[in-house]
Amino acid sequence: MTGDPMTDGPMTDGPMTDEELHELADKQAALGEVRGVPAPDPVNIPMIRHWLAAMGDQNPAYLDKGVAPPAMAQVWTMQGPRATAKDRSPVDDMMAALNAGGYTGVVATNCEQTYHRYARLGERLTPATRFSGLAGPKRTALGVGFFATWNVTWYAEDDEPVAEMLFRVLKFRPPARKTTKDPYPLQPAINQDTAFFWEGVKEGELRIQSCADCGLLRHPPGPLCPHCRSTGRSHTVVSGRGTLYSYVVHHHPPVPGRETPFVVGVVELPEGVRIVGNVVDCPPEEVRIGMSLRVTYRRMDDELVLPMWTPGEP
Amino acid sequence: MLSGRTAIAGIGATEFSKKSGRSELRLAAEAVLSALDDAGLSPADVDGMVTYSQDSNQEIAVARETGIGDLTFFSRVEYGGGAACGTVAHAAMAVATGMARNVVCYRAFNERSGRRFGQPNSRLTGEPTSQGLEMSWHVPFGLMTPAAWVAMFARRYMHRYNATSEDFGRVAVAMRRHAATNPAAWFHQRPITLEEHQASRWIVEPLHLLDCCQESDGAVALVVTSAERARDLRRSPAVITAAAQGSGAGQMMMTSYYRDDMSGLPEMSLVGRQLWEMSGLSPRDIQTAILYDHFTPFVLAQLEELGFCGRGEAPELLKDGGIELDGRLPVNPHGGQLGEAYIHGMNGIAEAVRQIRGTAANQLPAVAHVLVTAGTGVPTSGLILSAG
Amino acid sequence: MTERGPVETGAVLPELSIDLTPTVVVSTALATRDFTPVHHDTQLARAQGSKDIFLNILTTMGLVERYVTDWAGPEAVIKSINVKLGVPAYAGDRLSFDGTVVSLEDGQVTVEIRGKVSLGDHATGTVTLTVPKEDEPC
Repeated sequence: MTGDPMTDGPMTDGPMTDEELHELADKQAALGEVRGVPAPDPVNIPMIRHWLAAMGDQNPAYLDKGVAPPAMAQVWTMQGPRATAKDRSPVDDMMAALNAGGYTGVVATNCEQTYHRYARLGERLTPATRFSGLAGPKRTALGVGFFATWNVTWYAEDDEPVAEMLFRVLKFRPPARKTTKDPYPLQPAINQDTAFFWEGVKEGELRIQSCADCGLLRHPPGPLCPHCRSTGRSHTVVSGRGTLYSYVVHHHPPVPGRETPFVVGVVELPEGVRIVGNVVDCPPEEVRIGMSLRVTYRRMDDELVLPMWTPGEP
Repeated sequence: MLSGRTAIAGIGATEFSKKSGRSELRLAAEAVLSALDDAGLSPADVDGMVTYSQDSNQEIAVARETGIGDLTFFSRVEYGGGAACGTVAHAAMAVATGMARNVVCYRAFNERSGRRFGQPNSRLTGEPTSQGLEMSWHVPFGLMTPAAWVAMFARRYMHRYNATSEDFGRVAVAMRRHAATNPAAWFHQRPITLEEHQASRWIVEPLHLLDCCQESDGAVALVVTSAERARDLRRSPAVITAAAQGSGAGQMMMTSYYRDDMSGLPEMSLVGRQLWEMSGLSPRDIQTAILYDHFTPFVLAQLEELGFCGRGEAPELLKDGGIELDGRLPVNPHGGQLGEAYIHGMNGIAEAVRQIRGTAANQLPAVAHVLVTAGTGVPTSGLILSAG
Repeated sequence: MTERGPVETGAVLPELSIDLTPTVVVSTALATRDFTPVHHDTQLARAQGSKDIFLNILTTMGLVERYVTDWAGPEAVIKSINVKLGVPAYAGDRLSFDGTVVSLEDGQVTVEIRGKVSLGDHATGTVTLTVPKEDEPC
């Protein structure tokens, strides 16, 4: 461990199982209502006037009667832009654990506020937060996630509850994280006859089409077996070993997405077909026809993986 | 049978440059009118047109520009430069069968100042067409220029026959030597040495810069008519003794890496067999061959596939000027595409006609039969033109 | 504030449309003391995968409150606002509220409200309030 002072709480122990997340939720709920830091300012005219103006709300009642719009309840206790002392609540550990578990996405789903009365000018509100439940994991449109619910009550100075809020968020696991890699410019065209090959390389498999009827292997693949006319197509995952049959070293002109010089070869597979790919991990001047190769897979962008060839034992 | 029934009666061309400064349609129209003038025909006599699928000038547009009226035959030939002799084959078939009387074949482009074929084009795999899918086994690996596609075969040829880069270089040297004395050639008076070839930078190993043909702007047009009619026209006819197209088993566009030992050109062998059979001639009857030379290594493969030498013997044939003007088989007396211009093989057909007529810049003596080929590495075509 | 019709079940609230200019999004975020960058920093919001800056929840609650009190008048007293949150309300969009009175019991009015943006429902829910007796229909 690095002893990084910024990380504390359960997340330093690594991702929790679903069961452990529920145990933590129960523990946090058992803490009951936890008081937060009182509002930095009492209910006041300037903030109300500012809020009304921003909302376009021309209702004169609030300033006439010396009360705050009820929907401002949470505004009074919001942290400022330079908050230092973090106002801990039972929600924080739960969120940290969900983040550590990969449920890094967040979207609020419900906000239900009940107003016992309107807060009056001069009152200083204090929030109190209670963690009230964790549901999940559930499959949602955004991804698999947990719904976390908590309740906040705002108390006046005499502990009289002024307003309450139920707040629910979905913490979800975002679908396959986008890297910042630019899309590779040399994309293959793919159709239903060739998709199995490209799906294979994504999974680290070199798939060669085989006829389901006569067993003939062929590459590049196509919709029919040219030998027996069968449309029954299958594929075999080949060993990934090969021998270099021919090759070129590309110098000029520049090719998009590539640094020159690079080597492209025709590789003969022991299974009996040839395939084109780059020869990598070998200086161009050491590449030779007949050299032994084994397949390797290189990710070109978020979507595309290309099979390439690296020197290997015969 | 097609043999001997049709002839090329007119040839025309624009100048060959790096920047024509004119539209491709204008180049096409200029070449077509020049070919008609050469034949002594008027646009109104034309009733058929053929060009390459890759040509950006539609037959109807060229017809409108040149005053050609009713067309009863129009056709396009596929597969890049492999179309060259195919346009003449289609025209000859149309004339021989009565579909048309006088057919114009043309190719026009600003290949140097406009879209350059040698530049990487990531749209090659833009759509899952059969060609887009075929390219998708190569382009994602950066194997996406004609030089690179050919280099893959060249390496295998070297491995199989112990050929060397110098062997390829001898083709480039011969072509530039021929171009040096052809005033129409871009490389007129600019021969090179084998040392210069060897010292030129790598494009795609094993190909040096000087193994790759130049890029050109320009247009060439031909007029095909019946042999009988041609004999009544202004110029001596170049009789079409044989015309053929060929695509081999397991054929691809420049990347037929999956079918054989990659040291030959089976589709050119197929074209050659048809040419010899249709003409009744054999390699020793040919005074000069116009062999498609976008990249030097495929000139060696063609010499072998067409039977001018045995397999693996082309390097030997090339030694001591074997394909030069005074050699055993003079190849591309105009300098080929390496020396004259890259007009997708169409300028080579025009040179064959000049050699038959006896009007070429580097005229060979007593030319009775010329063999011409089209683009290599792709489905291709060929012709034998004869005096008469 | 507009004149409203009688408060009765089925009464329809007049629509309210608010253009969510960046100024509206930012000024309301700051007026609710919400300094989370996604509500005022366009670049950062986009870097986090959002289309633009978007309204914060405290503002959604405030606008719902304004929508209902615009209709109900200054004497109304809001008792609760329950909102189910939907799609984000991005800067550049327009937020349109509609509402219907769904019950009226012992002086307590329940209004169903919906705030729509171009992507769909941003907020749906109910607001309960009381209006003074003299305001009720005779």
